[in-house]
Amino acid sequence: MNTRELTRPQKQFLSGVFPEEDCLLSPERMAAFSTDGSRLRAMPLAVVRPENSEQVSELLRWAHNERMPIYARARGTGTVGNTVPVQPGIVVSMLRMDRILDMNQSDFVAEVEPGMVTADLQAAAAAKGMFYPPDPASSGFSTVGGNVSTCAGGLRAIKYGVTRDYVLGLEAVLPGGRILQTGGRTHKDVVGLDLTRLFAGSAGKLGIITRLTLKLLPLPEATASLLAGFCSINAAMDGAAAIFQAGILPSALEFMDRSTLNALREAGSSPLPDTVQAALLIQTDGSEQGVALGLNRLESALKRVTPERLLIGRGADEKQLWDVRRSISPASFKLRPDKMGEDIAVPRGKVASAVEAVHEISARLNLPIMCFGHLGDGNIHVNIMHNASWPEELAHAQQAKEEVFRLALSLGGTISGEHGTGLTKAAFVDQQLGSNEQDVMTGIKHVFDPHGIMNPGKGW
Amino acid sequence: MTDTGNCILCGKCMEVCPLLRASGQEELSPRAKANLSALLASDIEALQEKDAAELAGLCLGCGRCKQKCPQGVDVPALVADLRGKHPGFRGWLWNKWLKHARELWPSTSLAARLIPSGMQPERLSPFLKAMQLLKSGNGLKPFVRIKTLPKNHAGTSMMLFSGCTARYVRPEWQHTALDLLSRLGIDVVKGKFGCCGMGLECAGFQTDAAQMRDTNVLAWRKAGKPKIVTLCASCHKGLAEYSKNFEDAVEARQWIEALTPISRLVLQGCYVLTPQAPEWIGYHRPCHMQHQDTDHAFLSAVLGEKLLEPDDRQCCGFGGVMQLGSPELCTQVNERCWQSLDGADTVLTGCSACVAQLAASAPENIQVGHWLEILDLEDDA
Repeated sequence: MNTRELTRPQKQFLSGVFPEEDCLLSPERMAAFSTDGSRLRAMPLAVVRPENSEQVSELLRWAHNERMPIYARARGTGTVGNTVPVQPGIVVSMLRMDRILDMNQSDFVAEVEPGMVTADLQAAAAAKGMFYPPDPASSGFSTVGGNVSTCAGGLRAIKYGVTRDYVLGLEAVLPGGRILQTGGRTHKDVVGLDLTRLFAGSAGKLGIITRLTLKLLPLPEATASLLAGFCSINAAMDGAAAIFQAGILPSALEFMDRSTLNALREAGSSPLPDTVQAALLIQTDGSEQGVALGLNRLESALKRVTPERLLIGRGADEKQLWDVRRSISPASFKLRPDKMGEDIAVPRGKVASAVEAVHEISARLNLPIMCFGHLGDGNIHVNIMHNASWPEELAHAQQAKEEVFRLALSLGGTISGEHGTGLTKAAFVDQQLGSNEQDVMTGIKHVFDPHGIMNPGKGW
Repeated sequence: MTDTGNCILCGKCMEVCPLLRASGQEELSPRAKANLSALLASDIEALQEKDAAELAGLCLGCGRCKQKCPQGVDVPALVADLRGKHPGFRGWLWNKWLKHARELWPSTSLAARLIPSGMQPERLSPFLKAMQLLKSGNGLKPFVRIKTLPKNHAGTSMMLFSGCTARYVRPEWQHTALDLLSRLGIDVVKGKFGCCGMGLECAGFQTDAAQMRDTNVLAWRKAGKPKIVTLCASCHKGLAEYSKNFEDAVEARQWIEALTPISRLVLQGCYVLTPQAPEWIGYHRPCHMQHQDTDHAFLSAVLGEKLLEPDDRQCCGFGGVMQLGSPELCTQVNERCWQSLDGADTVLTGCSACVAQLAASAPENIQVGHWLEILDLEDDA
């Protein structure tokens, strides 16, 4: 619990800029903002809720002068503790800034505020025949601003890329109150350094994003999905290889290993028989005719590697197949009450080696470790399940995490493909980033935030 | 104490919470309430339990988060627990309201007399207006005539659970229901049902709710355990959640199987629209319609293309005891609900609380009613 308190003038300033319900000072009301999906916790000094960028500017001018730590937050669904105010400071909730300012069918561009829920943006775009592809598993309850700050990936990255590929421009407020406008509504722009991309994945360390200009695509007419169960992880990898060899680029290609399937069975969320030890979930999209053809080609490619079970989903059935995937994270807690949810990424060709090596770690340390995720882009979610109240198991989980990170780096990969480093991975950043690289990053941050008030205490 | 230890703070519940969507206040989200409960249980000294309970009590009780939670955390039950510990004035008033529905509901002036002078009466005005409108409303002009009704229920015996609103405030709903049951050839068994108890349970009055449950189960048992016909989605949910009042699991199952929304009985009938039928009709799906929505299936079959697609994410904003605690937040939720009903001339629903809330807040020239009101029983086709 923080001991530092705000002075009376500081409280007066905050409640002057953010009247009534938009400035929270009581611990009861602030408790929600002390934690996030990581379940780590630190109580802020205050929570404020801006409704426009002028208020944010006023706040950051003040915070810059006061050297007051600032933690921007939307729905707080991240799992690495990026929004937890570890140094006493002010949490800035962006949920009041949740409007669509423009959605243009000629430019194929949406201008939105950061507190907009991603699925709501997708639905609004779809209503006008347009498509916002980034689709993290949390799209129904996380926001566009949070997705950009973490450069969320998601299920469709294999074909459509990640969140940063859809940010054409943005407005951000910097410490000191300056309002920065980057990029614009054009899909191409090579004038100047790409500050827009610098913000995507910057995890609130540079400034507070107050407006986003996003690229949209024409909405695919149809989608269809296949859930294929295999007798082993190698058979599943053969299945994925068969898809690529047939020249098919699916819009999503997910895999689940046997621990993942066991957790889903425990939770009653698996439609596959017990003989299945690994599964692939594949989606294809496009025109009605194209999807029908794509589905046939996918089926033929997969049948060559003899799956144990092949389920095809269209319409409501398709949603049920994807509900299986979206149930993994909550189902994981059926195995153990605590989780270290890592999200390493390796080159696509190294996924099978990585999963086998993780299974070896799991067996050696006697811990359930689930591997699942975005096979198509080599991004593997490694969930190290454990009971943190058993000291020996907690120590094993910690050891497993360190071994998994070393494994990813040894295969030419990264310790985080999507979640970021926040608090839970901050200590491991040095293993991936050299001192030269970190020095340059520190220099860049200094230009934006000379006093280091933006989301301090977190890893790169 | 309801178990709070299962919440993993994943945030899935935030997808469905109408209060969070309307207010943008994360501290009112279901996750925040589960978090607060857990903090209180672990005895965090910095939190004032009473303040935390009041904050957590700002819940519409729609139950969507409970349905969504992969960990089985029941936030409305946590809220009821906290309210039970700190009932305060608002809970007391609500308790009075429900326990003495017969005396109070027909006259809001009586209810107004219960409000101490220290309370700001203007804060309660939307609620009082809802009750006043519910009482004084003439109902919709019927525009559906019955051609034929299904015959498969003829000769069976059933009880009617009218609910407090139909018994004391809108007796015409009860008359319509009884008339329909008679035309279906059903023998209506008389029995002394009380309130379903759900409002009391949500407001934290578990003992009073348990008494209501006992009364209702006893009445059903005495009548020979016939089917129980309901006409309010909230009453139906309240009855369906009885779990501790039965002799054994067999009787508990018999109770669940006995519960029958009246729309299910008339679903297979044949109906015609009169020229008075409005052009566009909206349907508000009650939050408590967590069983199969035969009300909507009936309306869809009868009204065809006149019926606009319902937006399942919206709550009317009635909110039970929260209406007394924070009418402003209820109004924000209600405004979102009306945005989703844009284009409708008439709005139908199948929950008495939703009818009250929507009727009190309806934009000019938009009629609101229970769907039973559209049936023309005077002049058969």
